[in-house]
Amino acid sequence: MDKKFDLLSTVEYGGCSAKLPAGLLSEVLSKLPLAKDPKLLVDVDTHDDAGVYKINEETALIFTTDFFPPICSDGYEFGEIAAANALSDVYAMGGTPLLALNLMMFSHELIPLDVFGEILKGGQDKVTEAGALIVGGHTIDDHPPKYGMAVVGTVHPDQLITNAGARPNDILVLTKSIGTGALVSGEKNRLCTPEDYRRALRQMKHLNKHGASMALKYGVRSMTDITGFGLAGHAMKMAEASGVSFRIHTPQIPLLPGAYLVYEKGSIPGATFRNLEFTGKHIHCSRSVDYNMKMLVHDAQTSGGLLMAVNPDHAGILIEELNSIDPEVSAVEIGEVIPESPRRIYFE
Amino acid sequence: MKTLDTKGLKCPQPLIMLKEALLDLKSGEEIRVETDNDTSLKNLLSYLKDQGVEPEVSSAGTVHTLVAPKPDQDIASSNAAIYCTTDLPISYVVCIKGELMGDGDPELGRLLMETFMDNLKLQEQLPTHVVLYNGGVKLAMKDSPVCNSLTELEELGTRIMLCGTCIDHYGLQFDIGVGMISNMVVITETLAAAGHVVTP
Repeated sequence: MDKKFDLLSTVEYGGCSAKLPAGLLSEVLSKLPLAKDPKLLVDVDTHDDAGVYKINEETALIFTTDFFPPICSDGYEFGEIAAANALSDVYAMGGTPLLALNLMMFSHELIPLDVFGEILKGGQDKVTEAGALIVGGHTIDDHPPKYGMAVVGTVHPDQLITNAGARPNDILVLTKSIGTGALVSGEKNRLCTPEDYRRALRQMKHLNKHGASMALKYGVRSMTDITGFGLAGHAMKMAEASGVSFRIHTPQIPLLPGAYLVYEKGSIPGATFRNLEFTGKHIHCSRSVDYNMKMLVHDAQTSGGLLMAVNPDHAGILIEELNSIDPEVSAVEIGEVIPESPRRIYFE
Repeated sequence: MKTLDTKGLKCPQPLIMLKEALLDLKSGEEIRVETDNDTSLKNLLSYLKDQGVEPEVSSAGTVHTLVAPKPDQDIASSNAAIYCTTDLPISYVVCIKGELMGDGDPELGRLLMETFMDNLKLQEQLPTHVVLYNGGVKLAMKDSPVCNSLTELEELGTRIMLCGTCIDHYGLQFDIGVGMISNMVVITETLAAAGHVVTP
């Protein structure tokens, strides 16, 4: 009886789709006083990826955390994905991760202890790949398990990339394909091939490191990473923070192979419907956008790609260079920034 | 009528079963779905409403029963490959050049424009875009008598496209009630790619 323990058997929701509905979160946060300090370069006000604190003229600290229940069966892979996802918030601000703390909820009575070790190993290896260090952590007994990290990174204050800097005519570039939520759902309901599912896992483990370095190199004005609120939700927050609107060419949005079919078969995760409710009237889909695509742009992503607003003169070269130095990414132009209009995002 | 018993099943199983069952039905034929999961009910309703169907829902205790006709075939979603490469079979764009419809008495021109917009949204085949430029952008302002008609068209999936230069020229940036601010590059592309252009 040494069948490998299946972490997915412990959860109904997984990954970022375990997030509290965005509307509820906003409601709660709106009642709390905002911390204000001149050194606080980015606070929760703009719903950015992380908090940023200016230490001196040369250095600002990026501070972020993320954790969630298992997104896959294997402990090591779960660790890798959770770490890549937590590190991503630092990359999304244009920063370099320095230190990480493990956050673990795990019941040793219900799950073999070696799974605990595998998760930590996966997290550690990913943090090492990012060039950062794990300096400790905290574990409490809880079931189903949850794992993630608090991460500290740095950025030069002048090079900080927030979600509030997009300007009309900027080109929107997305660095990873959409559909991780779809394929996890497809795997659970046996509606996708093992190859397509493996491909989604591989993408989730992939660091947004090169995307961030290209963004810095080409002076990207605004950036965010696509996670639990889906492409539509995160694009909406970025457009809102920047005081602009986005026009997105839906057929140009890269999809993971198999994701469309999973949705066509009806295996649409609850998180997608929650995200759709959240974006509501703030987004508009042309009639040419079919139902499955409208839902896929709301698919909750785990460790998704970066969405950048790039100066039109640099977009082509950035995409070309990023795709050539990092064969795992599939950076493409998906739309452009337009002046602030009654809705935030126009999908066509 | 076929009945799907999805009691005890969680999201997304009921939707998977419904979509599969709908494949075997003829257009307009009805199906009954039973669920005891509130989220699943909500998501089933969201799906069906998006397909233009108003389901009837009745609840007894914790069990909800939903009756709905099979939605009309969604041309765009029936084939992802076709969707990616071609547009809808016949398409047209409505081009609005000014606030008035036709030359002559301005009062009459205003009235005609209102009536035109009221009728446009009732067409079986709706325009893919309504492009508004020069004085036409004023029709998309919050206080315009046709703002509601344009908003309804937008809700139905028509892209309302406003000339950004014109908005700036008339200083209307803060009065926009409906539509996406665009530029002449996109407007030219849209008009050039239209199956035909209707100019009232």
